[in-house]
Amino acid sequence: MKTIVITGTRKGIGKEMAEHYLAEGWQVVGCSRGEGSIDHAHYQHFALDVSDEDAVIAMARTIKASHGKVDALLNNAGIASMNHALLTPASTVNRILQTNVVGTFLFCREMSKLMRRTNNGRIINFTTVAHPLNLEGEAIYAASKAAVESLTRILARELAELKITVNAIGPTPIETDLIRGVPQEKMDALLARQALGRMGEVRDVINAVDFYLREESDFITGQVLYLGGIN
Amino acid sequence: MPDRTAIQSLILESVQMLAEDFELEALKAPNPQTALYGGDGLLDSMALVNLIADIEEALAEKFDVSIALADEKAMSAKNSPYRNVASLTDAVIERMPT
Repeated sequence: MKTIVITGTRKGIGKEMAEHYLAEGWQVVGCSRGEGSIDHAHYQHFALDVSDEDAVIAMARTIKASHGKVDALLNNAGIASMNHALLTPASTVNRILQTNVVGTFLFCREMSKLMRRTNNGRIINFTTVAHPLNLEGEAIYAASKAAVESLTRILARELAELKITVNAIGPTPIETDLIRGVPQEKMDALLARQALGRMGEVRDVINAVDFYLREESDFITGQVLYLGGIN
Repeated sequence: MPDRTAIQSLILESVQMLAEDFELEALKAPNPQTALYGGDGLLDSMALVNLIADIEEALAEKFDVSIALADEKAMSAKNSPYRNVASLTDAVIERMPT
């Protein structure tokens, strides 16, 4: 049975992806800051902050003891904060960078160690269309995801010898807590910039994840796939 | 805390395991003076990364200690701690929690 680690599984896209891969027969290991919200025989939850190095290392060691290896990682956990740069405090900047960049890096590092001997590891990071669209009000969030994209491309090279592919997906806005509070006119303007002008759905994300996870995708690495026709 | 002999044994086991994985005949029976990286060492950079990760993992599993062998001190050291088994043993001992 294959094991997939998904960060940010308490709600939203992370939870739906976890439920999808459980239904597909994977063993799913999830995490969030709080207790888990999935009750399934093949689901294991860790309550932690993804940017807490000691906690992530401890999680990896527990997974090694219980599962032996990891086949795939979905670095889904992320936070956003929409605000004008002149009004954004450093504490918000640090919080976003810690979760989105440091958290993504720590999970890539620790889970790669557990993928080393599978010869077919998969890492999928999450970016955003806010980066290529240079969205006003999203300076720090977009900058953090730009870092995730750079991390994705460089780790793709560093981990290639270990036969681990590293790719990223950039979803369009999806109805989740992350975009709650974004004014409707802003959302309409954003959708108008997409080639396909509709809200994204979780199934769109899962479709792209499935593509990266396929065994036949072992020649695809270092790529960033934006949904909705953004480039 | 484990003594030098225990730490060195753990490193020798890790080198043997790596030698199997990377099919490095000359490293299948290592001793404390076996060259690892740089100079006469047989490991390339990726094999060294794997060895360090294996040793860190084994230290956590066997002795419940968490250390980072590739820290800034190691990277900037005049004499690389990765040159042979004995120097790597010294590096581990130096980083063990007191």
